[in-house]
Amino acid sequence: MRSGRMRGVGIPGGVLIGLLMHLPIWGGWPAPALAAQAGRISYEAFTLPNGLHVLYSEDHSAPIVSVDVWYNTGSRNERPGRSGFAHLFEHMMFEGSAHVKKGEHFQLISRAGGSENGSTAEDRTNYYETIPSNRLNLALWLEADRMRSLAITDENFHNQRETVKEERRLRVDNQPYAPAFIDGMTWPFDSATCFAYAHTVIGSIDDLNAAQLSDVQAFFDTYYAPNNATLVVVGDFRPLELRRFVNQYFSEIPRHPDPPSVSCASRVGSGPMRRELTDAHANLPAVMRIYRVPSHADPDTPALELLNVILGEGESSRLNVAVVRREKAALGTQVAMNPFDSRRGPGVLLALAIANQGVDPLKLDTLVAAQLDSLRASSVTGEELTKAKNTFRSGFIHGRETTLGKAEELHHYDMFHASPAEINTDLERFLAVTADDIRRVAGKYLDPANALVIIVKPAASGVKQ
Amino acid sequence: MRRAALALLAVVPALRLSAQGLPTTPPKPTRLAPVRFPPFKETTLPNGLAVVVIEHHEQPVVSVTVSFRAGAIYDPAGKEGLSELVAELLSKGTATRTAEQIASTIEGVGGHLSASSADDFLTISVDALSDQLELVFDLLGDVTLHSTFPTSEMELARTRSLSALALQLSQPGAVAQRFFASEIYGRNPYGRTPTRESYRAVTAEDVAQFARERLRPAGALLVVAGDVTDAQVRDLIAKAFAGWSGAPPSGPALPAPVTRLAPELLLVHRPGSAQANIVAGNPTILPTDPIYYAGRVASQVLGGGADSRLFLILREQKSWTYGAYASLRRHRGLGYWQATAEVRTDVADSALVELLHQIDRIRTVVIPDSELTAAKGFLVGSFPLTIETPSQIATQVANAKLLGLGDDYLRLYRERLSAVTGLQARAAAARLFRRSALTIVVVGDGARLYDRLKAIGPVRIVDVDGKALTPGDLNPPVTTVTLDPRQLESRTESSQVVVQGTARGFAVADITHVGDSVVYSEHAGTGNGMFDQRTTVVFSAADAAARRLDQVMIRQGTKVEAHLVYGGGRVKGNNLVPQPDGSVQQVPVDTAVPPGIVDENVAPLVGSSLVLAPGQTLRLAVFTPSEVATKVLTFKVGQPETVVVPAGTFQAYRVDVTGPRIPLVLYVSVDSPHRVVKQEFVGQPAVIELVR
Repeated sequence: MRSGRMRGVGIPGGVLIGLLMHLPIWGGWPAPALAAQAGRISYEAFTLPNGLHVLYSEDHSAPIVSVDVWYNTGSRNERPGRSGFAHLFEHMMFEGSAHVKKGEHFQLISRAGGSENGSTAEDRTNYYETIPSNRLNLALWLEADRMRSLAITDENFHNQRETVKEERRLRVDNQPYAPAFIDGMTWPFDSATCFAYAHTVIGSIDDLNAAQLSDVQAFFDTYYAPNNATLVVVGDFRPLELRRFVNQYFSEIPRHPDPPSVSCASRVGSGPMRRELTDAHANLPAVMRIYRVPSHADPDTPALELLNVILGEGESSRLNVAVVRREKAALGTQVAMNPFDSRRGPGVLLALAIANQGVDPLKLDTLVAAQLDSLRASSVTGEELTKAKNTFRSGFIHGRETTLGKAEELHHYDMFHASPAEINTDLERFLAVTADDIRRVAGKYLDPANALVIIVKPAASGVKQ
Repeated sequence: MRRAALALLAVVPALRLSAQGLPTTPPKPTRLAPVRFPPFKETTLPNGLAVVVIEHHEQPVVSVTVSFRAGAIYDPAGKEGLSELVAELLSKGTATRTAEQIASTIEGVGGHLSASSADDFLTISVDALSDQLELVFDLLGDVTLHSTFPTSEMELARTRSLSALALQLSQPGAVAQRFFASEIYGRNPYGRTPTRESYRAVTAEDVAQFARERLRPAGALLVVAGDVTDAQVRDLIAKAFAGWSGAPPSGPALPAPVTRLAPELLLVHRPGSAQANIVAGNPTILPTDPIYYAGRVASQVLGGGADSRLFLILREQKSWTYGAYASLRRHRGLGYWQATAEVRTDVADSALVELLHQIDRIRTVVIPDSELTAAKGFLVGSFPLTIETPSQIATQVANAKLLGLGDDYLRLYRERLSAVTGLQARAAAARLFRRSALTIVVVGDGARLYDRLKAIGPVRIVDVDGKALTPGDLNPPVTTVTLDPRQLESRTESSQVVVQGTARGFAVADITHVGDSVVYSEHAGTGNGMFDQRTTVVFSAADAAARRLDQVMIRQGTKVEAHLVYGGGRVKGNNLVPQPDGSVQQVPVDTAVPPGIVDENVAPLVGSSLVLAPGQTLRLAVFTPSEVATKVLTFKVGQPETVVVPAGTFQAYRVDVTGPRIPLVLYVSVDSPHRVVKQEFVGQPAVIELVR
């Protein structure tokens, strides 16, 4: 299942939702009584000689099509001193290519009645358009032109660098809690052994200022190649026509040498960490607990995902019932695993709470910790387990309601699983999780030795009562 | 490459190769069959409830919403937030179910139940997989008809609303919208927003009465969308809402918003803001006004998305913002339009001037055909994207009905947009975007914004709570500095710089006296040659007034120097200024500074020497050489704490310093001479600790 969904109650609009550059939706499991095809995705795959991997799935329920390209690169490929680079590069991809002027990408898609965007996460960068089905060729042509011939100029580079700095100010520097959140996700990892996840996706202003135009060209040459990309098309099209367009537009793009691989060594339970931070904008204290979790492929992952639902999803979750309602200590609570998107891993599990006025954050942390400990001390109830599985069941179907949702699911299974075919079998792993499994993973990963505790305090000027 | 491919094609005709490679121009559209708005069934029940059923059998999902004319505009004056609390409490207990039971029942099957209130409407929403259809209606009927609003839940909801308000007031976008609504609507209910006082004024009886009076079937709309049939739904509604009746709720006449006579600029001072949030606009039209279509086209051209003027100019050309947009918003009553941009503080005035220029332009110059076609291409062409899921369809139908847009609206929407001409769009812009009566709200650091903004027009200043401020309040008076010689006795202090738990650098500071000056010399670095800096600041022993700064920095083998002399109301010399490309440049400086200005390099030293007691606030006027700027640093002295550093265990006052680019927390020893035993940097994992 794709990560990234922030689950929680009470924090209006999700305080941190605006921060996230990508917010996919969960998957779930269909009950036997439902239509057998609910949530199943049938697809075909082929690979061009230049290495471009293509997956497609027909859906004629609406006259639209989603074209979605994932490049196998993200912030994990950045080096020290160049954080934020993959995201800056994502911006550059909209600035024009050999046959497309600056601004024209937006213009062509919009004028055709389409919507488009892109996003950067740790392990992957995506670019997508959803467009009326008679403009499939346009979307493919735009993706091909920029894959082959991005226009990298000083002017575009300086323009987008300033844009990205303002994006950072908008989402992070000018918001309460956001700096603690994005930095907090990186602190469980050591720069020396896992720089890949030890720095933020958006990067620092200093590193962004240090970036050079030659870095952009080098990044393009290394990572933006057909042999490092997957194209997924879902919607109302004819396969023969799709194959013809793909062959015509993409097959002449030359492959590049395979990029170097990136490794991450991180130990679960390598020692508790604690930070107390002052937040210049916050009015209310907050608590964040961040736990190292293993790679996505690890067999413990489904149990961890279900644990997260029980811990923090909805009004009936442990955190909401105990900390928000019974103790009245928090305005709201949220949980997430790998909020930006799934990644190969290792990853992070977050639990955060914003205190009600007048509540001491250390007390709030004690209450949050008690709920995490309760999952280690005894098994979840049958009711909780059923709720978690049904939450998945429902999320699974909702996540595959749209062409774009399906496209992202295909990408997820292609990149993070042994085979895209698991898109239709992965649910069984969640179905098979037992209460014992959840208790076991809680014991292992919610161990205090594996925790980073962040206490966020408002600056002295704080809130008026 | 092309020739070879064609030659090969001739030789092996059966082999399907790419015919001609990538075209050099965008490919043309292929044929698209006409798309119609999906069918739906609508009825009105004898009790007045309007029902819409949208059958959509792609996925086994169902969602139901019930909307009532019970939004925030119906809050009594002084009790703003009542409708929001009613919505919150609807899911918190009925005659037969507790809040916990409601939550575990719906969430146990993987569904959701919630209620929320907006300006006009209060909406209850339930969704689940379609095999839970009966449960969905059972719960919906229960919470709508039988909610009990328990007192304990009321108090919890109030506590959380008060906290949510505090949270909102810390978020610049939310603050901007609060003030904008209030400014454009004045006493009109669309402009009222909850306050601490209004939340506290709401009583349990208010909640019960509001629900009784306004959650009635007449005037309400129920929309079901998903894997259902009309027959199923009718039966379930009859069962779940049996006996539900009541006259339609009344609505007070809404007073017209005050008409402005001139543009007004409100500056909301939010100290330490990293950007300026700009919102500009005014009230517009009733939702059924036919000028809407031309206005929609104009607002799309001005700021509808990435292919619009504000985005292309303010972001793609000028690099001032991550995004700038404009939109037309509708209420049941008078709607409004707004343009927004979050911009770099130093260019807020330029961005505002450009924004106003673009408003002028679209009001006076006919939109060229290419832009008109592009805007309509999106507004009309994107229609298929808006009907992909049953929830999307439901939202569109609900919107059209609740705003009273008429039965033809959905069917004729695209046609009416397509017919808009450039002249009509200009006329609509002129009428809707009231340049001469515009409200502009800017949320940001007033100390940096006021002078720039007042050059554009008269500026009113408030703080985030709405309290009026004067320009003087933006730069509160600085503390007169009289130094106590005992605090600056000669000494040497060694510190280490710790990053994420590891020592990464050192700093050794010497304080000596020469004549009537204090000489502060600091040697800091990483110890491995990557970075090494020697700084000497000479200042008056009487009042800390800066006299000289000398600095030598060696960074990755390159040496740069700064030398500044303060005197006669000016600072002159050469300074080291970080450049956008990461290098450090020597830059000539010759600028006026107030008398007595303190060099920022010694601000922690000087500030800590003045600390006396908890609760004290000090303000130092400093010159920041790296930014060539004068600022005020505020030191707020807190309680003593026990602080453990390599140099020992100290009782130290916690002092929060705001004003620098990165705010600080200093721990200043209680004993004299006051020493900074630890320094933290807000939001950074680096700490400086006294070693000796």
